Amino acid sequence: MSSAVGRPGNRGEVTGQGRGLGLRDSSYTWVSLLAGAIIWEVAARGLQFSFLPPFSSVLRAAFELIASGQVTSHLAASLINLGIGYGLAVTGGIALGLLMGRKQWVAYVLEPYVSALLATPKLIFVPLVYALFGLSRGTQIAVVFLSSFFVIAVNSMAGIRSVDRTYVEMARAFGASERQLFWKVLLPGSLPLTMAGVRLGMDHAVKGMIGGEMFITLFGLGALLRRYGDRFDSPRLFAVLLVVVSVALACSAVVREVERRVTAWDGEGT
Amino acid sequence: MIELRDCHKTYIAQNGQAAVLALDGVELTIQSGEFVCLLGPSGCGKTTLLKAIAGLLRLDAGEVRINGQPVTGPGTDRAMVFQDFALLPWANVVANVAFGLELRGVAKEIREQTARELIHAVGLTGFEGHYPRQLSGGMQQRVGLARALAVNPDILLMDEPFGAVDAQTRRLLQEDLLSVLGRTPKTVVFVTHSMEEAVRLGDRVVLMSPRPGRVRDTVTVDLPRPRPSDLERHPRFADLTEYLWQQLKEMQR
Repeated sequence: MSSAVGRPGNRGEVTGQGRGLGLRDSSYTWVSLLAGAIIWEVAARGLQFSFLPPFSSVLRAAFELIASGQVTSHLAASLINLGIGYGLAVTGGIALGLLMGRKQWVAYVLEPYVSALLATPKLIFVPLVYALFGLSRGTQIAVVFLSSFFVIAVNSMAGIRSVDRTYVEMARAFGASERQLFWKVLLPGSLPLTMAGVRLGMDHAVKGMIGGEMFITLFGLGALLRRYGDRFDSPRLFAVLLVVVSVALACSAVVREVERRVTAWDGEGT
Repeated sequence: MIELRDCHKTYIAQNGQAAVLALDGVELTIQSGEFVCLLGPSGCGKTTLLKAIAGLLRLDAGEVRINGQPVTGPGTDRAMVFQDFALLPWANVVANVAFGLELRGVAKEIREQTARELIHAVGLTGFEGHYPRQLSGGMQQRVGLARALAVNPDILLMDEPFGAVDAQTRRLLQEDLLSVLGRTPKTVVFVTHSMEEAVRLGDRVVLMSPRPGRVRDTVTVDLPRPRPSDLERHPRFADLTEYLWQQLKEMQR
C-alpha cells in the first residue's frame, strides 16, 4: 500500500529522461569521461602544445608516481589536514550557525562579519595564519578550516530559521522546554539546509587545502602541484591534478551519502 | 471546569498601526466532560480563545482558570489538535504519536507501546512506520488526534481539525472522534466554521462574532447521544443549523 510513495533517492526516479542511446543513466557519465579522455589524447598529439601532455602520458606518470610511493605520503598529509580542518569547521560552523539562528542578538552582532568572510577568498589569510602557526601542520589545518567554516555557519543559521512555526507551536503546546524544542524540533528541522552547508563546506575545504599547500609548499598534494608546476613537468603536474580531482570527488560523494541518509525524510531535499 | 473571565486580546499588525481586537471581554464556562464547539466567521477570535486555554498566548486582560487554577502556560492536562496537522516530517507515525510522551520523559518502550495502541484506536494499524508525507490529509489528522490522546489529557483542544480534508473524510473523522470519546470521555473545545459540524459533535455551540471578538450566543444541542450517523434526519438538527445560519447571516451584514 505504500509502494506508490517512494523515498527520495530511489533508483528509477530519473530514468526515462535520457532515452537517447538506450543506455542506463549512469552509463552516460562513463561514456562522457571516455570521450573526454579520447579528445584530450587526440588534441594533445595533434596540437603539440608543450604544456599539454597527451592523456596517456599523464596516466603513465600517475601510475609511476603512485607506484613509487611519491604521491602516497603527500596524499596522506593532505587528507589528515583536510580531515582535521574540515572536522573542526563542521563542528564549529554548525554550533555557531545554530546559535545565530536561535539567538537574534548573536545574529545581529556576528552576521556582518560572517557574511563578509563568506565572500572573502580565504587564501588572503594564509600569511596571517602562517605568522600564527609557522611552518607546521597548523597552518594547513587553519586554511582548510577557514575555507569551509563560514559557508557551514551561514547554512546552519538559515536552517534553524527555516523551521516551520507550526512545529514550534505544536511542541510548545505539548509542553516542550526550550532545550527540548531545540533538540527535538529545531535541530532536526534545520538538517536539510545544514547538511547542504556541510556538503558545500567539503568542496570549499578541498579547494582551501590545495590552495594553502600551494602557498606553503611544505607537504601535501598542493605542494606537489607547485613543485611540478615550477619545473614545467606537465605530465606529473596533470597526474597529481588527477589525484586531487579523485580525492575531491570521493570526499564529495561521502558527504553526499551522509546528507542523503540524514535528510531522507525531506522530499524536496537535494 | 474551564472558566474564561473577561478575556481581552489585541493583536498589533506588523506595521504597528492596525490593531485587531481578537477578544473583547469574552466570558465562558465549560463543564468537565462537555463538548463545546466554538463557531463563527473568520476573525471572530475562536482560535485565539483556544490558544488562550492552551496557554500558548498571554491575554492582555482577564484570565483562564482550569479547575480553579489560573492558566500560565501549556500543561499536561491539555492536548491540542492542529488544523494543519503539525506532524514532524522527519518522524514516522509511531514517533509522531509518541512525541508528547517523549517530551514528558516516558521511556521509549512504554511510549511506543501507548502510541501503537492509539494508532490502532484511530484506525491506522499497518502505517506505524510511515512518514507524514506518505499519508493522506485524513490519515495525517488521525495521527494528530492519536498524538493528542497519547498524553491522556483531560481537555482536548481542537483547532478546525477537519477543515483541511474533503467532505467524506470529514464525516468519517467526525464519527471516529465521537466513538473514541465514547470510550474515553474528555472535555473538548472544538473550533469550527461549519454549522453542521458544530451541531453534529457538540453538546453546546458557542457562537462568536468578529471585530471585536465576542460571544454572541450560546446554543445547547439537545440531540441524543450517542449521535446516530443519520443525525441530519432528526428534526432538531434542521432547527439548530437553521438558527445558527440565521445568526451567522446577520453577522455578515
